[in-house]
Amino acid sequence: MVLIAILTVITAGLGLPGPLIVAHLIDSLFKHHSINLFLVFLALVGIAAGTGLVGYALTFAVTYLGQQFKMEMRRRLYSHMQTLSLGYFEKNQIGKMMSNITNDVATLDQLISGSFVRLMQDSATLIGVLVIVFIKDWKLALVALSVSPFYVANYLLHIGHIKKAADDVREERDVMLGDLQEKLAGAMVVKSYAKERTEVRQFVGQTRNLLDLNVDLSMLGTRLWTIAEFIGSGCGVALIIWYGGREEMMNRLSPGNLVAFISFITGYMYGPILRLIQLNDQFARTNAALNRIFGTLDTEPNIQNKPEAKVMPDIKGHVEYKHVWFEYEPGQPVLKDINLDIKPGMMVAFVGQSGSGKTTMINLLSRHYDVTDGAILVDGYDLRDVTIDSLRKQVGVVIQETILFNTSIRENIRYGKLDATNEEVEEAARAANIAHVIEALPKGYDTLIGESGIKLSGGEKQRIAIARAILSDPRILVLDEATSSLDSETESLIQEALDHLMKGRTSFVVAHRLSTIVASDLIVVMEKGVIREAGSHIELLQQGGIYASLYNQQFKVALESREAEGVKL
Amino acid sequence: MSNFRRLLGYLRPYRYRVFLAVFLMFMVTLTALPLPRIIQFVIDRVLPHHMWHTLNWIFWIIIGIYLFRGIVSFSLNYLIGWLGQRVVFDLRFHSYRHLNRLSLSYYDQRQTGKIMARAVDDINVIQYMITGGFVTLITDMLTLVLVIPVIFLMNVKLALIAMAVVPIYVFNYKLFLKKIRPLSVEIRKSWDALIGTLQEKISGITVVKAFVRENFETEQFIKTIRLNYDLQMTQATLNRILAATATIIRAVGTGLVYWIGAKLVGVHTLKVGELVAFTGYIGYLYDPALRLVDFNVQAQWAGASMDRVFEVLDTRPEITDAPNAKSMSNLKGSVTFRHVSFGYSRDNQALIDINLDVQPGEVIAIVGPSGAGKTTLVNLIARFYDATEGAILIDGVDIRQIRLESVRRQIGYVSQESLLFSVSLAENIRYGRNDATREQIIQAAKNADLHDFIMTLPDGYDTKIGEEGIKLSVGQKQRMAIARATLTNPRILILDDATSALDSKTEANVQAALEKLMKGRTNFVIAHRLATIMNADRIVVMDKGRIVDIGTHAELVAREGVYQNLYNEQFKSAQDEALAELLG
Ligand SMILES: Nc1ncnc2c1ncn2[C@@H]1O[C@H](COP(=O)(O)OP(=O)(O)OP(=O)(O)O)[C@@H](O)[C@H]1O
Ligand SMILES: Nc1ncnc2c1ncn2[C@@H]1O[C@H](COP(=O)(O)OP(=O)(O)OP(=O)(O)O)[C@@H](O)[C@H]1O
Ligand SMILES: [Mg+2]
Repeated sequence: MVLIAILTVITAGLGLPGPLIVAHLIDSLFKHHSINLFLVFLALVGIAAGTGLVGYALTFAVTYLGQQFKMEMRRRLYSHMQTLSLGYFEKNQIGKMMSNITNDVATLDQLISGSFVRLMQDSATLIGVLVIVFIKDWKLALVALSVSPFYVANYLLHIGHIKKAADDVREERDVMLGDLQEKLAGAMVVKSYAKERTEVRQFVGQTRNLLDLNVDLSMLGTRLWTIAEFIGSGCGVALIIWYGGREEMMNRLSPGNLVAFISFITGYMYGPILRLIQLNDQFARTNAALNRIFGTLDTEPNIQNKPEAKVMPDIKGHVEYKHVWFEYEPGQPVLKDINLDIKPGMMVAFVGQSGSGKTTMINLLSRHYDVTDGAILVDGYDLRDVTIDSLRKQVGVVIQETILFNTSIRENIRYGKLDATNEEVEEAARAANIAHVIEALPKGYDTLIGESGIKLSGGEKQRIAIARAILSDPRILVLDEATSSLDSETESLIQEALDHLMKGRTSFVVAHRLSTIVASDLIVVMEKGVIREAGSHIELLQQGGIYASLYNQQFKVALESREAEGVKL
Repeated sequence: MSNFRRLLGYLRPYRYRVFLAVFLMFMVTLTALPLPRIIQFVIDRVLPHHMWHTLNWIFWIIIGIYLFRGIVSFSLNYLIGWLGQRVVFDLRFHSYRHLNRLSLSYYDQRQTGKIMARAVDDINVIQYMITGGFVTLITDMLTLVLVIPVIFLMNVKLALIAMAVVPIYVFNYKLFLKKIRPLSVEIRKSWDALIGTLQEKISGITVVKAFVRENFETEQFIKTIRLNYDLQMTQATLNRILAATATIIRAVGTGLVYWIGAKLVGVHTLKVGELVAFTGYIGYLYDPALRLVDFNVQAQWAGASMDRVFEVLDTRPEITDAPNAKSMSNLKGSVTFRHVSFGYSRDNQALIDINLDVQPGEVIAIVGPSGAGKTTLVNLIARFYDATEGAILIDGVDIRQIRLESVRRQIGYVSQESLLFSVSLAENIRYGRNDATREQIIQAAKNADLHDFIMTLPDGYDTKIGEEGIKLSVGQKQRMAIARATLTNPRILILDDATSALDSKTEANVQAALEKLMKGRTNFVIAHRLATIMNADRIVVMDKGRIVDIGTHAELVAREGVYQNLYNEQFKSAQDEALAELLG
């Protein structure tokens, strides 16, 4: 920063002698004094070379600063976003979050690397020029300055409008980006409904708004600058030539100085003033970007480590839900007074109506949200008293909607354990019963998924996600409908591997296909956020409640056909 | 270069405005010329001869010139701003329209973020070049054309001296051009990667968090931005060197003119004012040359961006309407697969010799192990892909001979992954049919067993999803997708694992409603839970891309094979129990 300041002052300073030398040259020519022309040449070239070199160093330093700044800002934003809780991501459109990291930061950079430096350079030049001009001829200087109030007035008249227009542009662009992202990611839906034309029409509507706003903005800017140029270059120069000319004729000013004056005033005074004004305009435009950047940075994660949070020791697997209440939106409880005591090593199944809160139970266990009331304890530790990382590292969740990344299959599985060896990866794939599919691919584990690669079927994706979780070797394994897209045969093969793997560890399974969970130690039946029944398969069947009716529904045919066969027997 | 020509094509519809703009540029340039001459006149004539009156006149002349210049340049900038934005608009519109035409396979192969980068950032870069670079370039060209004769008329000797340094400059410039170009391409690529990662990792945040990979992801991200940073710095360095050299070359030129010019003044072949004016003019000569550097950067950037935008525009959609395709607005709904084979890539056959004849009104279930090709089969009916071999006929007409839109409009497709948009629940359901009434929307929600849930929400059907709204459970999303599909009143209904996240009770409710709906339509239902599909008219059993069996449930369980195995596996426990009950 200091370096940049020094360099700017030097560049500004180097600009000043040029006109003075020329003035000297011209006056000598007028008075027919002899002058060492070679020296003049050398001086001019020398100054230019100096300006060139220092300017080079300066722009380099500035670009460096700007780029560093951009990088640092993006890193901060991104790493901050990473710490934010899931709730944040659910409430913000992906496209807008992206725009925050890309566009807003770029806007800021323009201010920093462009305008800040100009601010310093111009202030330095301005001060230098004012001093020189006033020393040389204070009256002429005053004349030159007389147009500046108009300048400022012009600026003040425009700036409010420009700021507003810039904000409008931003907003509209964000709307466009948000929609664009969503509709591109949802191309499948757009196509299934043959809605391409509607989408294009809607997009055109948005871009047209953007077009209008942008044209308005650029019109305002142009008006400001054109008027400023007229006032500065036009009226200013005319005044100086007129007044300076009179002065010269009254022999109060040398012609050389007149020329120097003109070039000082046009090149070194109005220019900087103009740009200083422009800087303000830039500030105004950047304001919105700044607000958003700080808005993001100031968002506190809903879920945070307590200062005295302990590291969760190796989990044995005793999980207790104690009077747990939870609501996503205030006043709309999703879980109501949940009580559960799960002993280490148990396999617990959640069943129940869609929307009854099963996924929520699990989200709470990995502490993506904090309970509204009550507490969840693991091995006697309240989840809020341990560090988030140490907890989540030991809880392996296969989430309901499978998400894989655009890299190779191997990298995707390895995501569960970054330092896993190839053997471990393949082992996990075998356990998830996907190894044979992968090995049949020409590139095997190095096959890319998505971009310039292949797309997997729903069940294949689920199995990769399971492999990924298996590899992470969690102390508590959670499968949230992790096998819903698998046929029963494949599923039971995976189940076997999992049983083996999870021996002695606690596991949670959410499933609607009851054959998946009949073997669980504890089946929890949920309805509208409360636990209605809990017990083993046999117990629940005997109770003849919700579970039994679900069971009968699903197994009706099998039971009937068995009975029929039984009769035959 | 051909890309630039193509970009100019985008200006063609506005050619009159472009001509006007060029004319205005000419005027603006012209208004810049008199000033040095006026100063010369003042110094050489007015001042020595004390022409007071003329001086007053000159004051007003200058004001007049600048007033004129202001008006012209305002119109010019306005026009240019408009043109630039307009071209952006056209380009965006074309790209987006084209993106919508491209088949699903295009999206399979690309990260969403990268596609976005093209539709947004690249086009912005092009805009900067049009409003910034192009204009300066043309103005500068005009200036050169006007100024060179002027200086030669003023003084041939000085003019030659001033021009002498230009070749050095051009040489210097050419030297750099070679290096800058590939860099720009690299920078665009690294930007792509940045956007791609961002989009992917932000939408996959649940996985990142589940595996506590926040730090890892941040590190990965830093790598991408660092690459971008390094490249930008390299480019900046190159540009700065170029600019610095240009400044020096320019100073040498100006210095030489003063030197020689002063000598000429000494021998009275040149007046002082002329020298001053002359140096004023050579500013006009060198400045454009300096600006060429800036333009060059912009042009390189824009060049790289244009390549990418035009690449999108040049990608041919794989699925298009045949020239003589007919529009079939009232399908009966019979679907025939005739020796259909299909592979996503050459060495990977997803479907092999599929033959199937489905009558209107039938309910066809498709079962089979994961990866058997079930989704692929229904994708072909909706013509997301075209069969590699064989043909699919709808109502006896090859699907490739029917207008794409008319087929898809009559297909209700609920895909395996339910995707909703960030709008209200009602709007999501209405997506397939804009003119649906409130009653119809509510009916669709009732069919999907969602109505009761929606009514518990404070905002009911106007509840927004996602941003500023709620998040639905996966089962609720699936039901939304079903509601959306049924609302369109399709002739062919495809449910790809569409009830996998529903409990049996909810599923039964949905199914009861669907059964009524399915009457008179052709239905394809994929499911793993056999209870879901047992009542289908026919069950198609698939394995490894082939149809291995077709029959009713009763027929299939009786036969040894894939279906029986699936059945036994799923109902093992029930059978065990029934057996246990029987025995004990
Ligand atoms: N876009 C694609 N590009 C390349 N290969 C694909 C693509 N989509 C699917 N495949 C492959 O084609 C095969 C059949 O996939 P498909 O989605 O039809 O299976 P499925 O029977 O629906 O399976 P599931 O029950 O798991 O959804 C799979 O091996 C899959 O990996
Ligand atoms: N992030 C969220 N913000 C607001 N409401 C939510 C959020 N996530 C879930 N809900 C609501 O909470 C309720 C319970 O959702 P949850 O995902 O736990 O259901 P579930 O039992 O897992 O259902 P499914 O079987 O359909 O997946 C639903 O009504 C849902 O709309
Ligand atoms: Mg769920």
